[in-house]
Amino acid sequence: MKSIILSSVVAALLVLSGCSTKEPAVDKKTEEVAAPSVQEVAPVATETVASENANVNASTNELSMSAVESKLPTVYFAFDKYNITAGMQEKIDAAAELGKSGAKSFSVKLEGNCDEWGSDEYNFALGLKRANAVKKALVADGIDASRISMVSYGESNPVCTAHTKECWSQNRRVNFKLLP
Amino acid sequence: MKIFFSLLIVMSLAWAGDATIEVIKKADSLPSLAVEDASVDYDNTFKLRFFKSLIADLNVLSLFNVDRHHRMNEYDDSDVLSANKDMNYVLRYKMTKGDADALTLDVKLFTNTQEVFSKRYRVNKKNIYMFISHAIAYDINEFMGEPSVAWMKRKVIFSRIIAPKKSEIVIADYTLSYQHVIIKGGLDIFPKWANKGQTAFYYSSLSSFKPTLKYVDIKTAKVKNIISSDGMMICSDVSNDGKKLLLTMARDGQPDIYMYNVQTRKYKRITTYRGIDVNGQFLGKNKIIFISSRLGYPNVFSKQLDTGVVEQMVYYGKSNSSCSAQGHYIVYAARESSNAFSANTFNLHLISTKTDFIRRLTATGVNEFPRFSKDGDAIIFIKNYKRQSAIGIIRLMHNKNYLFPLKSGKIQSMDW
Repeated sequence: MKSIILSSVVAALLVLSGCSTKEPAVDKKTEEVAAPSVQEVAPVATETVASENANVNASTNELSMSAVESKLPTVYFAFDKYNITAGMQEKIDAAAELGKSGAKSFSVKLEGNCDEWGSDEYNFALGLKRANAVKKALVADGIDASRISMVSYGESNPVCTAHTKECWSQNRRVNFKLLP
Repeated sequence: MKIFFSLLIVMSLAWAGDATIEVIKKADSLPSLAVEDASVDYDNTFKLRFFKSLIADLNVLSLFNVDRHHRMNEYDDSDVLSANKDMNYVLRYKMTKGDADALTLDVKLFTNTQEVFSKRYRVNKKNIYMFISHAIAYDINEFMGEPSVAWMKRKVIFSRIIAPKKSEIVIADYTLSYQHVIIKGGLDIFPKWANKGQTAFYYSSLSSFKPTLKYVDIKTAKVKNIISSDGMMICSDVSNDGKKLLLTMARDGQPDIYMYNVQTRKYKRITTYRGIDVNGQFLGKNKIIFISSRLGYPNVFSKQLDTGVVEQMVYYGKSNSSCSAQGHYIVYAARESSNAFSANTFNLHLISTKTDFIRRLTATGVNEFPRFSKDGDAIIFIKNYKRQSAIGIIRLMHNKNYLFPLKSGKIQSMDW
């Protein structure tokens, strides 16, 4: 009895100290792009080289990742469903347009989410099917599938935590997260 | 006539061993047991805390009518308290403070004023006292010659959501009164014990770029990456020998069940349905059960691994989204009301692959995360009722449910 408890407690502590906490890999990228090296490069590119190319680059750089992301919609779903309604299809079409223009240089991660009903693995799968439905709609709108990745958070990422119908409907959603 | 009667006897014998048919042991017929505290050390708060834990454990044994009065007596007194004179059994214990927070406990059991059992227990820290109380209950059960309750000594591993996209993985005793956070900081979910000895576990990490299955050896504190998949990566079940895993992966955004061989590190796709297939559980050597949306709502199905035949296992409930299997028994959670939202009731049900009976195991509230003990003797689950959460233990053969109130946040997944 004694040794079991001892070892488990000690081992547990060991593991705790052994596990570093990793932040999700999504954040922290914006800085690198806007490095001061621009000043040195700029004189070289000035004169005649290609004003069109320069313009395109400039326009995409103008819209920072977070600015583009804020223009992307949230797609909502009905209870226990992963089909896309007509209203939501319009939102996805608009997002696809943005994906071909302002957000052209980014990849997108589709995050599927669920309400608190139905727990366990089924909910995660449902979140994923929602993300996948949005992915298929984006691909049908001409977005390259290789630019899209997916993840399901099941019920672990609610935007609203009250136990009401309105709240649950806000949580049954797919979010767009841009990746460089 | 003789044949008819012998057939009747055979049938009743066969049914007597089936847990889907209710076995009711009347409380009156159980022997009485009182507990006497002879501790001198420690304050009253702690004395009472230990007493409560011990009473709860003894109750879970389902062998005694346990008296709930906290009475003090001298440890070496040869007589039991006069209040306990008519009790069939009297359990007396004495807690003693040791060096550096250690706790020693002596216990003896009397029946008819005869001492019939005694033992000494020791833990290094007083705050893990509940393991002593579980061990006493385990030993008393052995002494009474009843089928083992080794599951009392097993640990529960669970994950809980503490904030959006943040979770903790916790190791606990079976009542969740002792809790030790073992992983925190990211979104780490669906922990599963990797072997019978509970020396390692698997879990899904959603903190990295792709959902990744990880393996943690508790003794060496080493973490190993096992396999990743876009979208979804969950270990649903571990085979008895620990060599095979049932995974839910979503290659190309399609959640399906895969069999993973731990030694060869190869996997094989088992289900191919276009909708949702998740929560695979080993059922015997050649079969799995799983949750599928084949009927337009989640329900329990089985698949024969050699012939590939799929069979619907459950014909009751509006939405049956989680299950656990042991031997030929399946426990599943079913939504009882047809309205998706108003005052929902999720009850646990037990079915056997050998009979057509369905036994309802719970009556009120939202009951979820059912897991069998390794020997199939008990089921652990979470009950949410009137804004209160509790961990429940169902003693199948005794037809009794025991609840231990929980304080911690929303549980995401649990393994025993």
